[in-house]
Amino acid sequence: MSAADLADFRADVRAWCRAHIPSDWRAAQTGATDAEFVAFQQAWFQELRGAGYAVPHWPAEWGGGMSVAQQTVLYRELAAHDAPRLVLAFVAIHHAAATLLAAGTDAQRERHLPAILDGEIWVQGFSEPDAGSDLAALRTTARRQGDAYVVNGQKVWASGAAHADQCLLLARTDPAAPKRRGISYLLMDMRSPGVEVRPIRQATGESHFCEIFLDDVVIPAGNLVGPEHDGWRVAQETLGTERGMTMLELAERLGNGGFRWLVEACARPGRDGTAPLDDSRVRDRLAELETEVTGLRALCADLVANDAPGPADASIVKLYYSELLQRMTDFGAQIAGPAAHTVLRKPLSSGWESGAWVLDFVGSWEWTIPGGTSEIQRSIIGERGLGLPREPKAV
Amino acid sequence: MPEEHAELHAELRAVVRDLLAKTGPDAAPDWRTLARSGWLGLEAPEELDGAGASFAETAVVLHEFGRAAARGPYPAVAALALGALTLLEPSPGRDGLIEATVAGRTVPILALDGEAEHVPFRLLRTATGLALHGAARFVQEAPAADRLLLPALDPAGTPVLVDLPARTAGLTGSAIPVLDETRTFGEISAQGPTVPEDSVLRFADEAKAVRRLHDRAAVALACDSLGSAEAMLDATVAYAGTREQFGRRIGSFQAVKHLCADMLVKVEVARHLVGAAVRAEAGEGDPVAAAMAKSHACAAAVEVAGTAMQLHGGMGYTWESGIHVHLKRVTLDRELCGSPAAHRRRLADRYPALARGEAETYTSR
Repeated sequence: MSAADLADFRADVRAWCRAHIPSDWRAAQTGATDAEFVAFQQAWFQELRGAGYAVPHWPAEWGGGMSVAQQTVLYRELAAHDAPRLVLAFVAIHHAAATLLAAGTDAQRERHLPAILDGEIWVQGFSEPDAGSDLAALRTTARRQGDAYVVNGQKVWASGAAHADQCLLLARTDPAAPKRRGISYLLMDMRSPGVEVRPIRQATGESHFCEIFLDDVVIPAGNLVGPEHDGWRVAQETLGTERGMTMLELAERLGNGGFRWLVEACARPGRDGTAPLDDSRVRDRLAELETEVTGLRALCADLVANDAPGPADASIVKLYYSELLQRMTDFGAQIAGPAAHTVLRKPLSSGWESGAWVLDFVGSWEWTIPGGTSEIQRSIIGERGLGLPREPKAV
Repeated sequence: MPEEHAELHAELRAVVRDLLAKTGPDAAPDWRTLARSGWLGLEAPEELDGAGASFAETAVVLHEFGRAAARGPYPAVAALALGALTLLEPSPGRDGLIEATVAGRTVPILALDGEAEHVPFRLLRTATGLALHGAARFVQEAPAADRLLLPALDPAGTPVLVDLPARTAGLTGSAIPVLDETRTFGEISAQGPTVPEDSVLRFADEAKAVRRLHDRAAVALACDSLGSAEAMLDATVAYAGTREQFGRRIGSFQAVKHLCADMLVKVEVARHLVGAAVRAEAGEGDPVAAAMAKSHACAAAVEVAGTAMQLHGGMGYTWESGIHVHLKRVTLDRELCGSPAAHRRRLADRYPALARGEAETYTSR
């Protein structure tokens, strides 16, 4: 796409943003009920879908087909115009779609990709109480019985499970095999008998993480993704491909939403009449953060554009994003002062840098812990990216 | 980057790396060899015997010089002096100087002050003609100069470049010894030498010229620091992968491995910021990209070199290990041509206007 075409595209997105982003969504989503949140998310998804902006990263045949340059423009403009985020559809349009596109059968793709566009909500059922960083130690079992698997076990940290229609499930199909070789990847209908969801209240006071209890849940064998017992590899590959796509949006959010609010907060005069921006140390820190977020955006764009990324590139981006988010929101909390502690709720449907700085800061651990903690990412970067020797195995 | 450029850069990188390896750490690469290689004239127009390439190619060589902590005036001549000459209006004086530089017949040095950002010289009109006054400190590779290109304000206050032989009465140069033994610096001062009218060279874009000179110097140092940081990371990974303590290779300890991972992340972020600044510098220039690259990459390189010394243990602190060479070099890179804090001050100058909503997006490039 030529620079002129890209400029036209930018103008289209801007015009669309001005016409379609509800000006009152932050107020309406602050303190909203679960039902209001879900209804708003579903409506916003269809609004974006109507413009062709909901799944720009999908292949053209399924309703996407935007170049990386276009996606970057799209996400930048959505962030700059403070659009709500697709919080509820996140796992569906990224993790589920990446899995189905890379490893699913034609029947699975045809069943689910159009359904996702119509609002099917997905959740990831990977972690377990005793399988967090050591995910491959998972113990949920899937026993083959005729044309189905019978699943028993418990999943935890399943974000959005309370609203989900479908679940990406990792379960052990061969208990005798070495731990990474006996796992299968399954698609589970959350309305199946034997599925019970219990929300967990998290550090921010919200409860979008859940436990999922599985008691003799029957999953048709046709819902197996990839070869039986090979689910670990499927999960590793799809997690990698998905990482870049999600980060592109999040990096633009941090650069054009988070950083902008930070500058605005710094320019606001306090009770003594001076603004934080009058302080040279504040200006220095802001400039440092702007530089870092610019570096992050370049890293993300490169990761997405690269057909053959390095084995640790996704980990580098995840680690850098999550720790930068933490630094930025921490700084926001310091700038906003005690008053930020009176912001008791952040708007639902907002990003990780909503401007409710203390809640954003507390919430930033949702990035440094899940999806492989920062410590796990550093080990991956050291071992796969730099070729350093592995940890000795436990005896 | 288009694929053919990536291939050309990889080729250029390999040849430069090879030459610097053969030269060794204690000598500067032979100037005639450099001239024959064409690297002095990468950015010179083809009609003046140059390669007609861009700063992106010069940056590849600068990067390798940093990686090898190489000696000699190449960065000062190719990136700074030739870079300044290409910003000038074409004239017989300018064109002749470019040709002689590309051929290696002259070693021109840009008298840019490495300690403070200002236009260091003034041209005053006297009864006998133009006279030059002023001084520049921390001029990179000044002791190697046979010609000096002196940024000056002419009597009308317009920035110009004054071209004088290094041995000109009234122009004095003195070496400034520094801890970094791989480079040389000098102070140039002018006490009223007479300047012939045709030695006053005019910039094509006078409004932008001074900013471009400083940005070019800053980005060149960022390239040097990035190359050095990569070398320090490679050396540390190699060491941690072989050195054994407690019956294990030390790189298998998380305490060591995680510091190496942090070094790689710093290098990767710096690489992207420097890459953006280099691409901008190869075109119209971008002061924001230059300030980000200089402040971030040069600070990161010092952290990386420091971690390299730490992870090499006692061996790292020895003179023999050579890590101190990189640590001193990148620490000086960081302080020269605007500290990280100075560059961040320039970035922050934009914030009041941005907060007032006078810009549509914040980081919209």
